[in-house]
Amino acid sequence: MEKLEGSEEVSVLPDKVFEGVPKAPHGLLEALRRVQAVYGYLPAEGIRKAAEYVGVPFAQAYGVATFYHQYSLEPIGKYRILVCMGTACHLRGNSLNIEFLRTLLGLKAGRKTTEDRVFSVEEARCFGCCGLAPVVVVQKPDGGNEIVGRANPRTLRALIERYRRQERGGAK
Amino acid sequence: MIDVVKVKIDGKVVEVEPGTTVLEAAEKAGIEIPRLCVVPGLYEGSSCRLCLVKTPAGRLFPSCNYRVFRDEEFLASTPDLWEMRRVNFELLLKFHRIECWACERKSSCSLVELSKELLVDGIPVCSECPLPPSECLLLKGELCLGMITQSGCDAECLVSGGECWGCRGPITREDILERAFTHYRELGFDAKDVVSKAEIYWNSAPGFATVKKVAERAVSRG
Amino acid sequence: MNWTLLDRCCEKCTHSPENPCPDYIECRLSGPLCHDDERCRELRRQRIEELRYGEKGAKIKVPLASCTLATGAEAVYQAVEDAVKKMGLEATITISGCHGLDFIDPWLELSAKGMPTAIFANVRPSDVPRILEEYFVKRDVSKAFALKERVGAASGEDRVPLLSELSFWAKQYKWVSRNCGVVNPESLEEYVASGGYRGLSRAFKLGPEATIEEILKSGLRGRGGAGFPTGMKWRITRQQKATPKYVIANADEGDPGAFMNRLLAESDPFRIIEGLTIAGYAIGANQGYIFVRAEKPLMAKRLQKAVEEARRYGLLGRNILGSGFDFDIEVILSAGAFVCGEETAMIAAIEGKRAWPRQRPPYPAEKGLWGKPTAINNVETLAHAATIMAEGAEKFAAIGTEKTKGTKMFCVTGAVKRVGAYEVPIGTSIRVLVEELAGGAPEGVKVKAVQIGGPSGGCIPANLLDLPLDYETLQGAGAIMGSGGIVVIGHENCMVDVAKFFLTFTSAESCGKCIPCRVGLRVMWSILDKITKGEGTEEDLQVLRQVAETVRSASLCALGGTAPNPVLSTLRYFTDEYTAHIREKLCPALVCSALIKYRIDEEKCIACGQCAMNCPANAISKIESGKYRIDESLCIKCGVCYTVCPVKAVYKVAGASAG
Repeated sequence: MEKLEGSEEVSVLPDKVFEGVPKAPHGLLEALRRVQAVYGYLPAEGIRKAAEYVGVPFAQAYGVATFYHQYSLEPIGKYRILVCMGTACHLRGNSLNIEFLRTLLGLKAGRKTTEDRVFSVEEARCFGCCGLAPVVVVQKPDGGNEIVGRANPRTLRALIERYRRQERGGAK
Repeated sequence: MIDVVKVKIDGKVVEVEPGTTVLEAAEKAGIEIPRLCVVPGLYEGSSCRLCLVKTPAGRLFPSCNYRVFRDEEFLASTPDLWEMRRVNFELLLKFHRIECWACERKSSCSLVELSKELLVDGIPVCSECPLPPSECLLLKGELCLGMITQSGCDAECLVSGGECWGCRGPITREDILERAFTHYRELGFDAKDVVSKAEIYWNSAPGFATVKKVAERAVSRG
Repeated sequence: MNWTLLDRCCEKCTHSPENPCPDYIECRLSGPLCHDDERCRELRRQRIEELRYGEKGAKIKVPLASCTLATGAEAVYQAVEDAVKKMGLEATITISGCHGLDFIDPWLELSAKGMPTAIFANVRPSDVPRILEEYFVKRDVSKAFALKERVGAASGEDRVPLLSELSFWAKQYKWVSRNCGVVNPESLEEYVASGGYRGLSRAFKLGPEATIEEILKSGLRGRGGAGFPTGMKWRITRQQKATPKYVIANADEGDPGAFMNRLLAESDPFRIIEGLTIAGYAIGANQGYIFVRAEKPLMAKRLQKAVEEARRYGLLGRNILGSGFDFDIEVILSAGAFVCGEETAMIAAIEGKRAWPRQRPPYPAEKGLWGKPTAINNVETLAHAATIMAEGAEKFAAIGTEKTKGTKMFCVTGAVKRVGAYEVPIGTSIRVLVEELAGGAPEGVKVKAVQIGGPSGGCIPANLLDLPLDYETLQGAGAIMGSGGIVVIGHENCMVDVAKFFLTFTSAESCGKCIPCRVGLRVMWSILDKITKGEGTEEDLQVLRQVAETVRSASLCALGGTAPNPVLSTLRYFTDEYTAHIREKLCPALVCSALIKYRIDEEKCIACGQCAMNCPANAISKIESGKYRIDESLCIKCGVCYTVCPVKAVYKVAGASAG
């Protein structure tokens, strides 16, 4: 699913956005996911389109959109940093890692996205890669995932700096 | 196909149609089971967990939702069930925004009724006051301590036309106290005066320290 | 050759998905059955040989599963492709899932005719050319991690252990995970070649009632945590009169530290699909769903691919193998909610609603998806069912304990040398898993406790490690089997912090429907938070127990019902840690940040400045002596300095914070 280029002012969903999604209630989770892949989050209009497609009331779809962790009703960062809060990762230091990231990026008081919308830091549930605890996963703007195993403040700082350089490079 | 089912609740037997809920059967038997969330035709219940009943084997089911299709027995009023209901209800009230002084429905409120039945503190005397919010004594400039006093006395003083002096004891939940002191200030009452009046009965009450703490914060905010 | 085992051997074969032959599966390996022709037998023999050693007699297997991908397997795959091209090697490159031996990720498996199959561990892309050169050109296996057999044709063979000799392999009983890390998860042919789909074929020949009998006879109990007898669940669902019926595979493995299902689905997805098909046949459902956890998308991808392959070959769709039974599967990816692992919540999720559990009775077997009879089974259970139908109930029932038969996959993570997924007979002791399979704690770490069953489970102290792993024993000890996740907790962890950690998880995952879980868990969390900050009182402990009891007994579903377990078990076995926090304002393990301070030992300090450079709060600065000092009022206790100091000059002391 490609992301649309340009600013966030996207008002039109691509025609084929729901291709392959069952036109039935059990397709709602995927339909919402497709909308989020286009906008980077779920605007109300997008939820409405998803609801129409699978055939459920808007209110029900809105209830679903606000229930699950992976849906965001507010814009998320270009680089979405997910810090695994699984048991093994917690025991091996991810609670400290997430504090470190939040302090480093100036995210205080429940804010999860930086002012410039480049990074967001969120707690994530277990990815099942416990052999590499503590695990941090970065969802990149190109749709790929970078999995960082044995994360520590040093490697995380280097990671942020690398992405910042890429951002600066891309902006030219 | 049986057309009558015998349900035994707390030793009392009633005959009901198959598919009847235990809650309905209990009503028929004259046994009151507390409940908050079931609204027939609108919400299926099983959320508030206040109506839980026990089988003789010890398994718990919400009576609002459990339908009987054969003869069964339940216990609805054991001490441990009441204890569970009390703790559960306290949990519900814990984050509940309690402002009975401003509420039109205070005279027909399930939370107020339940708090009396379960002997749970936190709800103010305002809930038992016969005056509607628009005729509150505070609006007439009379310093009534109802907002920060535990209910349970049936608001005798208010019923006889006077204001509340707080003799039942202070509410100690800080968020309720905060809102009360804000309201006092909005109506032109000095927090210090409130505390002086309260001291008459609360001088040696353990919760008084909390009330004074919140009052001081209200004063320092100006 | 272009011919695969799934194709017709010659014109005499009449099978096609539209016109299926009931003996199709048996015929793949032991055929031809309907006619006699040596050429057809030879065709099969050749193909099996090809699958084993690759078409050119040399095979390189690269594992691509989440665990290996996270350690760089993709780059290794690329390096293999490049090296094969550069060296002009006549070798087939293929993929597999993972064995579960995470500690050797990423690994490579090389095989060639006449050579012992060799596994190489912790391979970096730069190692690849050397490894390929050594194995294929120099015929030297001396640097391999393990061999699968010895044939006497390679140098160094006698010095390298056999995989079957290594304790973490020998002590396993690989019943349901036999194919993991062995077959290509995207190849139906390899699954069938390994014996796959014999279970479904046999089920069709026995009929649905006898299939349920077989599962009952095996003693299989649900492997998702509840341990309900699978045969009984299928029988009850079968007996319901309402239609249509449904079967659902629960692939919402959400326990942190559990990845058995992920491993199975990524490495041997066809087994799960076969199991679900058997379940559908047994209960009379024509539609199956697999509900996959959002955080494990590769699982969904592999399962989806397997479904499409199965459809292509007529193992899903109409009149499967001529049985008259129609069945199809849809894979649904969740969007992030732990509660979906609860049967009735999963049903709500599939119905396109908020994942709120429903009060039972009625049970899903009677009124499930869309109010119809539904059987929900964990993917490991379904994989067992497929294997049992293929191998026979007696074989399964011959292992395990009296009350619980068979094997179970466990994941051992945390303070152990060998993090991995291990399959052992039920009744194996915790100690065998933790020490012999997972290698015990690393240097300098002592095992304090073992958490079994995830956030629903309990912490078992180290002195009870000889307890056997079975449902009843663990329950009696205050834990639960759960899905099989075992987290080993070392002495450097604080048990009060561990309890608080689990409550952070469960209170955030609470769906909000019922009061005890929604509010009670938050209240319990705030009490534990107070305790970890040194502000807890004895009265707090009383309230904690009281609320825990109400949450445990009054919650609507098992999430709330089991969430107090970590608290209750740590209170039971580690009371002294709670007491230390409350009475002495002390965290014995030096974990709770409000009760510790970080200091720099100025004698050890080499003034490199790493700590100051890395401190996110700018709390470390140089002092007159040139060494570094931490300003306690600015320190946020993140522990970076502790991690980066090259000479371990940073240390922790007990002490309540100033600011």
